[in-house]
Amino acid sequence: MGRTLAIGTYLERRTWLHGVEPEAKAIALLLLTIATFGARGPLGLALVAAELVAGVVTCHVSPRTVARAIAPTAVVLAFALLANALVVDGSGDVALAGRLGVSIAGATRGAFAVARIVLLVGLVCLVSSTTTAPQLADGLVRLLAPLGAAGVPVGDVAMVVSLALRLIPETVGEFDRIVLAQRARGVRFDEGGPLRRLGRYASVVIPLTVALFQRSDDLAGAMRDRCYSGRAPERARWGTWSCCLVALAALTMVACLWLA
Amino acid sequence: MLELSDVCVTLPAGGNRHRVLDHVCLDVAPGERVALVGANGSGKSTIACVCNGALVPNGGGVSVDGVGGLSRDELARLVGRVRQDPQSQIVSSVVWDEVSFGPRNLGWAHDRVESAVGEALQECNIAHLAGRSTASLSGGEAQRVALAGVLAMHPSYLVLDEALAQLDPGARRGVRGIVRALLSHGVGVLDITHLEEDALSADRVVVLDAGRVVWEGRPWELAASGSVVRLSGLQGGRLRALEALGWPSLGADAPWPPDAGKLALMASEGGLERELSDACLLVQGEPKAAGKGARGLSLDGVTVSYEAEKPALASATLRVEPGHVCLVVGPSGSGKSTLALAASGLVGPDSGAVTLDGSPVRPGDVGLAFQRPENQLFCATALEDVAFGPLNRGQSREWALAKARDALGLLGVGPDLWDRAPLSLSGGERRRVALAGVVAMGQAAFVFDEPTAGLDGPSRSLMRNLVRRLAERGAAILVVTHDVGEWLPVATDGCLLRAGSVAWSGPACGLLDPATYERAGMEPPFEAQLWEALHG
Repeated sequence: MGRTLAIGTYLERRTWLHGVEPEAKAIALLLLTIATFGARGPLGLALVAAELVAGVVTCHVSPRTVARAIAPTAVVLAFALLANALVVDGSGDVALAGRLGVSIAGATRGAFAVARIVLLVGLVCLVSSTTTAPQLADGLVRLLAPLGAAGVPVGDVAMVVSLALRLIPETVGEFDRIVLAQRARGVRFDEGGPLRRLGRYASVVIPLTVALFQRSDDLAGAMRDRCYSGRAPERARWGTWSCCLVALAALTMVACLWLA
Repeated sequence: MLELSDVCVTLPAGGNRHRVLDHVCLDVAPGERVALVGANGSGKSTIACVCNGALVPNGGGVSVDGVGGLSRDELARLVGRVRQDPQSQIVSSVVWDEVSFGPRNLGWAHDRVESAVGEALQECNIAHLAGRSTASLSGGEAQRVALAGVLAMHPSYLVLDEALAQLDPGARRGVRGIVRALLSHGVGVLDITHLEEDALSADRVVVLDAGRVVWEGRPWELAASGSVVRLSGLQGGRLRALEALGWPSLGADAPWPPDAGKLALMASEGGLERELSDACLLVQGEPKAAGKGARGLSLDGVTVSYEAEKPALASATLRVEPGHVCLVVGPSGSGKSTLALAASGLVGPDSGAVTLDGSPVRPGDVGLAFQRPENQLFCATALEDVAFGPLNRGQSREWALAKARDALGLLGVGPDLWDRAPLSLSGGERRRVALAGVVAMGQAAFVFDEPTAGLDGPSRSLMRNLVRRLAERGAAILVVTHDVGEWLPVATDGCLLRAGSVAWSGPACGLLDPATYERAGMEPPFEAQLWEALHG
């Protein structure tokens, strides 16, 4: 019972991209983003698009998932295209009505902008479909591991991030449970003005805070029982796929920045 | 050999230092399961903390396989500990990460971690859960994950700190099977428990009272003495049966523990069938007729779904008359908690109706107590917290306080505690205050969702007495439980759920018939087996 929190759109499959280390995916995403926005001509964008399509197909991500990810940006994209394509001073190449016209150069610029955004969203969607939030958090913290030499407690930071991800759904569940218990005692959370309703939530927030402190005590004991020492997460060995992916992304970036 | 020698622990408690453990000597051999029993507050959890290095004793020491003076980390590696609440031990969001947490902390190489985790997942039969989110696990699965997390560190000894207390019977069977396999591999187990089944099937039993070991011996020796059983705080059907038979001494050569058939045979040989029946199989009779107009709590064709096409409760129909106590029993996931929420009006049914004395039930009309009612305390004083419910009914403050005093009296909370902050009270006192808060509103019906899970003997008796008193006052009561045996003396009706539907409902004597449980796909409890052995 209770709500399920959907963190990301992770699809549980076993594809080559699922096996790639999350740090590798993050680095490849960064490189391909630079490639997408640095590409000066259609060839570069076409190259990135081809790689994106190959990724979507081989990882069995349904086109509908990608479309759903792009949908929220559709309005902005349409606006960007129109803003670039339409001219109102009569200097357009294709006249529409009176001084309103379409500029070919402007339309091309707009199309490029739209294409870049669509590619970026597609790449992010591909990464989030093949990486869970905890994996991503672990990967990002591992990337920060070199900071450990500078005295940053990377191991503890990793633990904090991981515990936060773990406790969010639990806190939501505990909140729901206490709300139910207080409703059974006659508290009406849905009646009265906003201030009054807020006051009623004191009956939930206080026991929730107490429960969370208790929970953190118990967790600390459990971590201690399993010899937690704040050790920094070790660098995972990159498999073949991880190395190939980052190499491909780097090559693509160089190619895009170079190609006309 | 895991050995505690002359261990003394003194803890400050509310200003005065008091001795929690007094010269405790305890040992566990490899491959042996030692049950540690005793009332709440006797120091059992403190022993668990000392065993795995979480607490350093003030006197005496712990040695593992002859090596004493180990550091806390070394001890934690050699002695694993599994606690009562599965979710409070789980640290990561993904099962694989969780099980590998211990080995990674020990600094093992990647390959060694992988193989240790794989082995641990296999041993606990959860290899198929490796990629799952820990928040989505059931209680039994979560406890197995916690156990795997400990086993992945390859401990030599294991302390089970009431690890089965919050699990349903099916999940308990699963964990017991894993522990049996561990014993055969030479792991020594210290089993801290309140469950008579685990105490009676152990290799040795140690009884703790007020921080001292007061008795030690084989389980059949324990069950041969009523005074020792009382000291141990254990309660259960088998012990009641043995008491009715006059605590027979069944030496080491008799099959142990005695099953229902053996006990029935002993009863018929000694002419004690009547005593046995009275001790274990007595069911509550018909209560006196309720007042006019009271029609009790009624669920008619109630369907509740959280996800489309998967109803958590499908067309459930149930009537609980005033003064009756109805037990709702079923395996995990059968919809018991959903039934409790629907009956108290907190979840609106998708179809069907829930009525109390003919009118639809709204939140607050039916009292509801969850497993840990002390999790809802928040006011500055105990009296105010208990009066919170009655105040929400819109009545005067004097009326509310009077109801609160009445409820606190019913739960045995003395006036000296009324002005204390509820969070400063002990665990047991907080539970009483929270229950008083639930019953203070004086509703005509109550629902208790697994009220005795994880409680010791005296607390369970408190709950049963409360339910009995409320029923005597004319309330209609639903008790959701997976422990039928302890509620039989209080129950008047029963209802078995299976996959969201009511598989059986009827008077409580039907709960003694094993055929009833077969219909719900459940294993019959000890009491039903005994009934069949006596009358079959």
